[in-house]
Amino acid sequence: MALIELKSVTKIYPLGNQEVVAVDDFSLSIEAGEFSVFAGPSGSGKTTLLNMIGCLDQPTRGEIWLEGQEIGHADQKMLSELRLRNIGFIFQSYNLIPVLTAAENAEFTLMLQRVDKRERRERVTDLFSLLGLDGLENRKPSDLSGGQQQRVAIARAMASEPTVVLADEPTASLDSHASEELLALMQRLNQEQGATFIFSSHDPLVISHGKRVVRLHDGHLESDQ
Amino acid sequence: MELFNLAWKNLWRSRRRTLITLAALSFSLMLIQAFHNLSYGVYSAMIDSGVRAGTGHLVVFRQDYLKTRDEKLSFNPHDLAGEIGQIDGVEAVLPRLYLPGLAQSSRESRGILLTGVVPAVERQVNPFLRGLPDDQWLTSLEGREAILGHLLLKELQLKKGNKFVVTLQHRSGELVSEMFRVHGVIKTGIKSVDKRLLMVGHNRAAAMVGNPDDIHELAIVLEDQDLNYLVLPQLQELLKPHSTLEGMSWERAMPNLYNAIRLDYASQKFIFVIMMLIVTIGVINTLLMSVMERFREFGIILAVGASTARLRILVFIEALLLGLVSMVIGSSLGSLATWYLQVVGIDMRNFISETLEFGGVVFDPIMRAGWDLPWMGKISVYLLILSLLAAVYPAVKAGRISPAAAIRHH
Ligand SMILES: Nc1ncnc2c1ncn2[C@@H]1O[C@H](COP(=O)(O)OP(=O)(O)OP(=O)(O)O)[C@@H](O)[C@H]1O
Ligand SMILES: [Mg+2]
Repeated sequence: MALIELKSVTKIYPLGNQEVVAVDDFSLSIEAGEFSVFAGPSGSGKTTLLNMIGCLDQPTRGEIWLEGQEIGHADQKMLSELRLRNIGFIFQSYNLIPVLTAAENAEFTLMLQRVDKRERRERVTDLFSLLGLDGLENRKPSDLSGGQQQRVAIARAMASEPTVVLADEPTASLDSHASEELLALMQRLNQEQGATFIFSSHDPLVISHGKRVVRLHDGHLESDQ
Repeated sequence: MELFNLAWKNLWRSRRRTLITLAALSFSLMLIQAFHNLSYGVYSAMIDSGVRAGTGHLVVFRQDYLKTRDEKLSFNPHDLAGEIGQIDGVEAVLPRLYLPGLAQSSRESRGILLTGVVPAVERQVNPFLRGLPDDQWLTSLEGREAILGHLLLKELQLKKGNKFVVTLQHRSGELVSEMFRVHGVIKTGIKSVDKRLLMVGHNRAAAMVGNPDDIHELAIVLEDQDLNYLVLPQLQELLKPHSTLEGMSWERAMPNLYNAIRLDYASQKFIFVIMMLIVTIGVINTLLMSVMERFREFGIILAVGASTARLRILVFIEALLLGLVSMVIGSSLGSLATWYLQVVGIDMRNFISETLEFGGVVFDPIMRAGWDLPWMGKISVYLLILSLLAAVYPAVKAGRISPAAAIRHH
């Protein structure tokens, strides 16, 4: 069985007295260790799909299987537990808690998992050196560049060794140099640590880094290479 | 533990807002504690002088005497006074006889309350006698020396050393008269007392009515007014064999004083409640604003795996810390204010020239605070609870955040 399986997933948002079909009868399976990108124009349903895989949102119809568990109909408590144990999230920007230091932000999910302080520090220190963040442990997010902030977000997502890391347009607020750097790091983590990544973008340059490119259009699967 | 750390840091994000909220909380706690302690001190002083001049903290009467003040309802205490004196915490036991009568000088006559006392005990306890020089005090139980209220003295147009006649009813119904001599004058500040008080040795007064051993009141003064509830049951135990007698505490025996204090304090309590409410609304506002501002951030926190329960706890911890800090600052300021009000006090003579009477007791013109530590603790805890209650709505709000929506909007 695949790591992630979407079976005829449809997501409909109510909008006033109308309905918006954000994702329409969408099926896909993703194996462990993949490095996939959801590509598509604005409004094509990338965020909606990532949110559903990431247990932030649930499908109107269809099933989503994560490591052999159906999550499309789990309750809120279950969903937050799944997010904590199985999912690593990286958003476009303002990922971090502004009052906490870089290291504390990276440790946040481990803290929620009640991992003890020493182990937390160890893991985060390793990740920081891997991500080129040495020496920035005690900086506040506001004292970090956009690229550094995103790397701290990657550290946080990776620290708890989740089943899958979901990154919704992680480079959208970065310049091309920082974007390249970030993508290179994600690729390294994917290759060296076998972490499964799914990210989204509408930037052709970013998309070209994906080993598998899933193209979306109006909530439909357009192509899958 | 980490949540406390995060909550603490969150509090200082909006430093000015937090400081203003802390100031409001601490300042009201200080005011409430200081005002309460001031009242506590003033009431304690009033109760103290009230009970010493009046019925004592605890008192023994013949049944119905309190209601009817019928001088026929006297009793022979035998060795009751001595027995009561043995109880732990009892400072003094004062036998008193109260006989309404008429005093006549060569020029005037006035209604009086002839009060028979045991001079040695009364002298040490009764605050009315504080200003009286030693050479003016009664020397024996049987003497014809009398202490008069200063207004009575004036109205009877008497001077020290003058003789006058007291007439009252013997228990047989006949009128009896005896001659007394002005030996001392007291000024209590309470008009009704200064106009009617006539204090003489117990035995002389008792002999006039034909009940030489009888008294009307056995006033019991305690070392501390809080001992009331410990001593009363023991007193009642002692009184069991005396079925015609009853023992009670000053609250029942002096309802005027008790009710005056209660009424006065009730209005103050009302102000306290309003203050607390206003402050609570301020705290709700602060917490709500800080939750709304962090809408997206809370979305992220939920997205990375925090449960809504933990998010709500975070908001509660923020309120708890706010409350705890205010508790510490407010109580420190409250203690400082109490200390000042105790040592320096408020001199009412700046505001009013006459002596003040309250519930039948004279006010000390310098109001001084007293330490009501259990109450200070209690009110601090109330403040903490209110801070937590103020967090309920903001916490519910935070718990309702949908992470997907919160992250989308920003
Ligand atoms: N909460 C919502 N309520 C109503 N409509 C929504 C909601 N969320 C998304 N939509 C709609 O669903 C569709 C898909 O949105 P989605 O955000 O998934 O697209 P996207 O590919 O991530 O776009 P973008 O590149 O702009 O981020 C859009 O038409 C959007 O307007
Ligand atoms: Mg999107």
